[in-house]
Amino acid sequence: MATNIPANLKYTKEHEWTLIEGDTVTVGITDFAQSALGDIVFLEVPEVGTNLKSGATFGVVESIKSVSDLYSPVSGEVVARNSDLEGSPEKINEDAYGSWLIKVKMNDAAELNNLLSAEQYQEFCNSSH
Amino acid sequence: MTALKTHLYDEHVKLGAKIVPFAGWDMPVQYTSVKDEVLAVRQNVGVFDVSHMGEFFVEGDDAETFVDSIVTNDIKGAPTGKAIYSPLCRENGTVIDDLIVYKLAPGRVLICVNASNIDKDFTWIKSKHQGFKCNLTNRSHEFSLLAIQGPRSYEILKPLLNELPDIEYYSVYESAFEGESVIAARTGYTGEDGFEVFGSHETIKALWQKLMSLKVTPCGLAARDVLRLEVGYPLYGHELNDELNPYDAGLGWAVKHAKTNFIGKEALAPKTSKFKLVKLILEKGIPREGYPVLNAANETIGVVASGTMSVVLNKGIAMARIQIDKVPSDEVVLVDIRQKPYPAQITKKPFVTGGHK
Repeated sequence: MATNIPANLKYTKEHEWTLIEGDTVTVGITDFAQSALGDIVFLEVPEVGTNLKSGATFGVVESIKSVSDLYSPVSGEVVARNSDLEGSPEKINEDAYGSWLIKVKMNDAAELNNLLSAEQYQEFCNSSH
Repeated sequence: MTALKTHLYDEHVKLGAKIVPFAGWDMPVQYTSVKDEVLAVRQNVGVFDVSHMGEFFVEGDDAETFVDSIVTNDIKGAPTGKAIYSPLCRENGTVIDDLIVYKLAPGRVLICVNASNIDKDFTWIKSKHQGFKCNLTNRSHEFSLLAIQGPRSYEILKPLLNELPDIEYYSVYESAFEGESVIAARTGYTGEDGFEVFGSHETIKALWQKLMSLKVTPCGLAARDVLRLEVGYPLYGHELNDELNPYDAGLGWAVKHAKTNFIGKEALAPKTSKFKLVKLILEKGIPREGYPVLNAANETIGVVASGTMSVVLNKGIAMARIQIDKVPSDEVVLVDIRQKPYPAQITKKPFVTGGHK
């Protein structure tokens, strides 16, 4: 399945993208994920200050007919949330990589080794779907 | 068990539909966008492949009398050419299925049942058939079925069929498409004007292709579920099941006690129910099936039977089953969404007023 996977980002098997800038990790959901979900109508992301654990759920994205958990790619503290998106979650469908959900100040840079490169994520999407 | 496929399966795949298992069938859940498909039906015209549904024929002198005796709604009293929605109940009043009875001609009745209940229904109906002068046949495997729904459905369908008068909503007309006989019923599951067209697999496939060439929007199960919820129609397995009676699902209007006799009449005579099926509308949050419904004291008083985001209202809506003695007088409840209570208003009217005649 052809899908938009920018080379400068890292990915999770739960279809989140991450942009790593120093110890700050910006998190969103991939183009593949938004396409699979369909019309996104509801978003729930944690408040600033919330502590996240790598691999644990941190929020929810809902399409008209489905509910999907969001999984944190790293452990750390939420330092920003894209509150604009809560009022217009359909922007994720329009531009998945322009629609970040949260920024996390990570505790352990070693966790970044668990993330997938663009090529690895492309391969993962091809093989699992 | 291998999933069944309708005769239009390859057409759906060609259109890029997402396919999901439903009631033992591989069915298209959406083609492009649920939202676009819902709006096509509300504002224009869409078509659903509902060939998975079951068709039973009852033919013979006693056809109407027999069908009248097994369902709760009034079949005998309705004129030929009418379609009648009805629960099908056991002696104890619980609902086996909900179905539509089509009075095609004197002594000729079509019953359309839910895909998931075909075998259960047929076994039940057959067991009650002794002594009546009519033949009962399950012809589900011979028929494909399209639902053409939306304000433009008559305008689209009329020129395609041999003849299609402007019949009333909930009536039926036998016609032909490209020389092959079809049954065209002005029924549906969307609240909009529309037709359900029964025919042979080849005929219905040709009709589907014709509708595609006319740019009628193909619509999947997801849009169908949103559309029926927006107008407050029940779905078996959600608002109705083997444990509930018609009153539990707000279907008392379809139980006609004035009839001499019907299966379940005695059990249903007190018109009592354990539950009230209510419509909920939320300012924030989307209710989903199985979410608990709470009162102001945080006590669980019911459960969401079906819920979705309404495309038309852009709000969360649900049908919920609440214990009959626990419905709050202020008509405000809470829906427990991921351990957080979201206020919900009980509303009497359908969430959306469909445009059917």
